[in-house]
Amino acid sequence: MPKPSFQTVRTAQFLTLIVPGLLLFTVGLILPMFLGLYYSFTSWDGYTKDFPFIGFDNFVRIVQDPHTLDAWGFTIEFTLWNTIIQNVLALFFAVILDTGLKAKTFYRTVLFLPCLVAPIVAGFVWQHMYIDVLPGFGSLLGTKINFGLFGKADTVLGGLLIVNNWQFIGYWMLIYLAALQSIPAELYESAVVDGAGSWVQFVKITLPMLAPAFTICIVGITAGSLRVYDLLVSATGGGPGRASTSIIFHIYNTALNAQQYGYGSALSVSLIVVLLIIALVQLGYLKKKEIQL
Amino acid sequence: MNRFQPNKKRRQLSHLVRRAFLQLFMLVVSAAFLLPLYTVINFSLKTKKELYLDNPLALPHAWFFDNYSSALDRLHVGTTFLNTFLYTSVSVFFLALISGAAAWAIARNRGRFFRFTYVYFLLGILIPFQALFLPIYIVGNALHLTNTFYGIILMYVATGLSFSIFLMTGFMTQVPVELEEAAQIDGCSIYRTYFSIVLPLLKPAMATLVILQAFAIWNDYLLASLFVSSSSLKTLNVLFQQLFSTTSSNYSTAMAGVMISVVPISILFLSLQKYFIKGLSAGAVKG
Repeated sequence: MPKPSFQTVRTAQFLTLIVPGLLLFTVGLILPMFLGLYYSFTSWDGYTKDFPFIGFDNFVRIVQDPHTLDAWGFTIEFTLWNTIIQNVLALFFAVILDTGLKAKTFYRTVLFLPCLVAPIVAGFVWQHMYIDVLPGFGSLLGTKINFGLFGKADTVLGGLLIVNNWQFIGYWMLIYLAALQSIPAELYESAVVDGAGSWVQFVKITLPMLAPAFTICIVGITAGSLRVYDLLVSATGGGPGRASTSIIFHIYNTALNAQQYGYGSALSVSLIVVLLIIALVQLGYLKKKEIQL
Repeated sequence: MNRFQPNKKRRQLSHLVRRAFLQLFMLVVSAAFLLPLYTVINFSLKTKKELYLDNPLALPHAWFFDNYSSALDRLHVGTTFLNTFLYTSVSVFFLALISGAAAWAIARNRGRFFRFTYVYFLLGILIPFQALFLPIYIVGNALHLTNTFYGIILMYVATGLSFSIFLMTGFMTQVPVELEEAAQIDGCSIYRTYFSIVLPLLKPAMATLVILQAFAIWNDYLLASLFVSSSSLKTLNVLFQQLFSTTSSNYSTAMAGVMISVVPISILFLSLQKYFIKGLSAGAVKG
């Protein structure tokens, strides 16, 4: 038998470095994904040994089930508002903190701090913000605004958006800030020489140079909002009624509380498909923009 | 030249006014952002009587530390804190080791298999594990991984791999190949080269990875609540949610519990802050 070449041995050794990761990733994520796809065509209850095959029934049910449509409605609304508000405010604060403001580091830390708090804890804290602290604040000012945003179906979305933005604006702001600080000063200097005002500079230099940061933040916020769950568990429990039941919350209820593992898996599959489509569309569009600029 | 003076002065003045306004605005914003944190600390030091009778914004008359001892007691901090700490640190250790090795192999080989592997791992970024929690839980159950110490760690490592490998592979271009080649000429095996040459050079990237993943795992609720039901394996967050959900009237104790859960991760953040910001901005900068 010929001795294997040096290069072959090296490549083989390199392969062994990948194997642990590959194995864990496949068992922990890819295998579940395909099993989930399989379960989604069954009416499995999570306990019995047989998996009754029911074809596309679960998927037909998804588009007819009002609870599912409500959950999708809430999730999409939450995601849309989050993506808009969080991006605008994160960029806004990044631009402010990129100027010669005093105590910049302090503001940066303050805005960032909330994201150290676990969402499950943040939900609990904000419950008391709305029930105790803000009314107390109001009574000091002599107003009687109703701050119980989590208590009513038409304000619960707003209440949750405030919490989520309080938590994560600082995080995305740091990304915009890093991108802003990497824009070479010469670009602005030559723009000033050409007589461009600050608004023109912002639109013609700053925004285009921020393109990669936009991609990261928009994709990140969208994906993060679509999978909201922890916050809802402690803040609203999905209520009042079902007004703040997200799609993941709904999958949890369907599978683990109502023992409909087959239907729950179909919901998971639908979520994965939506996540993939949105990510690919966003990435395709934003990357194209990046190249054009 | 004289006629330009008033104009310049006016511009300076409006500049000053704008500065002052921005400064004031940021102060107000900061106060608003800090209000919940103030509330947590404030409530955690109040007696029950003060909690019900005083204005919620008012400071306690004396610091009432009994909330902390009852939080330590009710949250079984001896167990839950240790569990959370062990899950986080062991998972992050293996994540760093495994993803560093895989990323290095991917970055140094142009073969089709290696390129495929990279794309395969990236799939996990497009499909976050939260979307797959149900089948992950089912597989975990079938493999008897639920309610075991190593089971939950395996799941944290598996779900954290994609992002870690993405981060590490991006960093590999900054690791000089010359050192590795020199080691190779000296007859070092791949493994020895990884452990004694590459791994030390990866330190800054490792710090970024450690802090990002430690956050994710320390703050996780979904996986922990699914995988662990026996009380000896519970995490801080899981027991916290069980004890202090909606109807709890004892929220000064709960706020002390919040402090106990937030302080360690904040210390980690402060000590690794510069790597954290570096890691966040990786890729956000047009290069």
